[in-house]
Amino acid sequence: MISFRDVTVTYPTGTVGLDSVTLDIEPGEFVVVVGLSGAGKSTLVRSINGLVPVTSGELLVDDVHVDGAKPAQLRRLRSRIGMIFQSFNLVGRISVLQNVLVGRLHATPLLLSLFGFFRPADKEKAFEALERVGIVEKAYVRASQLSGGQQQRVAIARVLAQDPTVILADEPVASLDPPTAHMVMRDLERINDELGITTIVNLHFLDLARRYADRIIGMREGRVVFDGPPAEADDAVFEQIYGRSLTADDVLSEEEQAEEDALQAQAAAELDAEESRKATPA
Amino acid sequence: MSAPISPAARARRGAPPRPSAPSRLRYTLTQLGVLALVIVCLVLVDANWARLLEAPALSLNYGGLMVQGVVQNPFSEPYSQYWTDAILLMFESLQIAWIGTVIGAIFSFPIGFLAASNVSPRGVVIVTRQILNIIRAVPELVFAIAIMLPIFGLGPLAGALAIGVGSIGTLGKLTSEAIEAVPTGPGEATRSTGAGTLQTLRWAVTPQILPEVIAFWLYRFEINIRASAILGILGAGGVGSLLAQVFERRDWERIGITLTVIIVVTVIVDQISGAVRHRVISGVPVAGAKALV
Amino acid sequence: MTTATPSRTSTARPPRPRPRLGTYIGLAAVVAITVWAGIGIEFDLRPLWTDLGRGWFIIQEFLAPNWSYIGRTIGPFIETLSIAVIATLVGCAVGLGMSLLASRVTTANPVLYRAAKLFLSVVRSLPDVGYGLLFFALVGAGSLAGILALIMFNIGIIAKLTSETIDAVDRGPLEAADSTGASALQRARFAVVPMILPNYLSYCLYVFELNIRASVVIGIVGGGGIGSSISVEFARFNYSNVSAIVVLLIVVVFAIDLLSQSLRRRLT
Repeated sequence: MISFRDVTVTYPTGTVGLDSVTLDIEPGEFVVVVGLSGAGKSTLVRSINGLVPVTSGELLVDDVHVDGAKPAQLRRLRSRIGMIFQSFNLVGRISVLQNVLVGRLHATPLLLSLFGFFRPADKEKAFEALERVGIVEKAYVRASQLSGGQQQRVAIARVLAQDPTVILADEPVASLDPPTAHMVMRDLERINDELGITTIVNLHFLDLARRYADRIIGMREGRVVFDGPPAEADDAVFEQIYGRSLTADDVLSEEEQAEEDALQAQAAAELDAEESRKATPA
Repeated sequence: MSAPISPAARARRGAPPRPSAPSRLRYTLTQLGVLALVIVCLVLVDANWARLLEAPALSLNYGGLMVQGVVQNPFSEPYSQYWTDAILLMFESLQIAWIGTVIGAIFSFPIGFLAASNVSPRGVVIVTRQILNIIRAVPELVFAIAIMLPIFGLGPLAGALAIGVGSIGTLGKLTSEAIEAVPTGPGEATRSTGAGTLQTLRWAVTPQILPEVIAFWLYRFEINIRASAILGILGAGGVGSLLAQVFERRDWERIGITLTVIIVVTVIVDQISGAVRHRVISGVPVAGAKALV
Repeated sequence: MTTATPSRTSTARPPRPRPRLGTYIGLAAVVAITVWAGIGIEFDLRPLWTDLGRGWFIIQEFLAPNWSYIGRTIGPFIETLSIAVIATLVGCAVGLGMSLLASRVTTANPVLYRAAKLFLSVVRSLPDVGYGLLFFALVGAGSLAGILALIMFNIGIIAKLTSETIDAVDRGPLEAADSTGASALQRARFAVVPMILPNYLSYCLYVFELNIRASVVIGIVGGGGIGSSISVEFARFNYSNVSAIVVLLIVVVFAIDLLSQSLRRRLT
């Protein structure tokens, strides 16, 4: 449960990132934040785990204050919040497995971790996370050798390894081509469905927002100008958020849209087949 | 996440098998190799390790004496003499380093072009590079004692010339690398107007590398200050000779004063040089520099 | 500077910008310092003509190395190499630790950061020979003093180079590590160090090459190894022996240069 109470974020340059924002996010929700660059959507997402400090107001995650948290408290809080980034932010020179194990550092004693030793239980968690995103065969491959979509999946695995209650995603698909972008969004959707982790995603592709969100929050100049289900977010609402008419950059292209619909249908069919396989004992 | 599932159960689910960890043999062998190398070196070195144990107590003792020397009233005799000697000789070291750097800069600039593969023919490049390598392999000290001191006798001039020759080596290499890294566009454009080689070098290449090269010169100056102190020990002028003397006499108060002068002056010069380097690289005086180049 | 009002037919030519005062001052300062320095050290190239004869005799001996002497230099050379290896290993390890303290990226505490930077400035300001003399007084002449002196020399260089590399590192993976709740040290080990490792290792190789040359110099003032040999033979006026040693030194440095180049290629 995430609560913003009259939160304002002012950057040292004087720019106002968030302007007296008050809202609540219930556990298990899939929220997508949309808006222009600089409208505050990145600030909103990054303030939740304290990467951007709150200037005034209260911000609580699971009843713990993020505003004014001491470093040790902040680290404990962050261990329960996972985050993925637009540029994936993997350490290229180390293996996929080691990147995922970064998600277990908070639970590993300092001395062990400095020598690179992880407990077997943590390694098991890492492998399971990799299996969940379907990339376990690349476990020992150097992270820099993977494609963009694969790297983002490793980032998701790192987040899963934390056993988080909240997942934050700051423009997770902006660097990916449309089919891969959909794959990543589907992974996030699946994780939200199956594990019930609260997910907050920052996007600028509006059709993705409408398709995957349970709830859309539109930001403009640091304030929330829309908050509701995708059904209510029609083009008129988006024009209000963006302050201009929609352009082609705001949506994935239509032909790729059709291709995507076909892929979706195929994936759904495969999922059904697997479910029926699981239902019958081996 | 639930309790771990056996690989067999996982296979039944249709999930891909987990890859096995890559062999750590090479890594372990390298570590053992390095360890062996260290042990061999420790044995070969035949050092008197026992003295290391006495060192901390001694250093506290000497350190105390050094500090005592520094905090004495610098205007009273004989301390004012100590300070004056140290400062004057340190200035002489600066002079030696400066002249050495100037010599190095002036000669290394054209030599850098000779050693750049995108400017000079292959034969010239190879010969020049080897000459630079030889110069760089020999410590300036050896230049000093082998060539400069016999000709010019004891004194700062020999030191400055030795440092100058040594600087040509490093600066020549760095300059040639900067020249080789230059984008070819401006050079091609200049050539296409019919300009000759020297003109092209002066108008297309030099302005591009000048900030970087000036930064090299300043950095070299900082290094040469240390070098001039070393040469001083051999009698090539500067604060090095004083340092050797006071250490031999175990005059710890004076040692403290001399070391303080060296450290303070060096740190100040480093800061100034660093600031100038920063300004040159970030290209502040644009109109002025280009007008003069 | 006047700006002419644009007309349809022509625009007035802008006046040529005068070079900034700063550049003039800078150049004048350089010339002045050079003159001051030249006078100070009594710059006079005349001995090249007049005293060349006196020096030439000595130079001639230098140009005729005594090859038979080389056999006796192998031992001291090995000692010099060993000193360099040990000093490099210890100095680079400590230097890496100090570099983490000397970079804002890995040290949040501003007091600690500034103290580390100040300490490193002071350590770097003393030439390697200064440390040599210092350690002779503390532990007596010989290779131990040479090793300790070079270790201090190395720490200064490695810490400066590595901390500058850390300053320039890509912050993205650092943010990712922060977001998982990792501590600053864990972040340094898992995000910072892997990213700077190729650069750090090439600095270590560079420092090793420097150490070989520096240990010659330290040896001359009494630190063991090949430097002592040079000093002894020089004092005995055996110049052709000295030049034999120097030739071997050049060969050894070349060999190590080649070795480190191939190592560098394999590391990146």
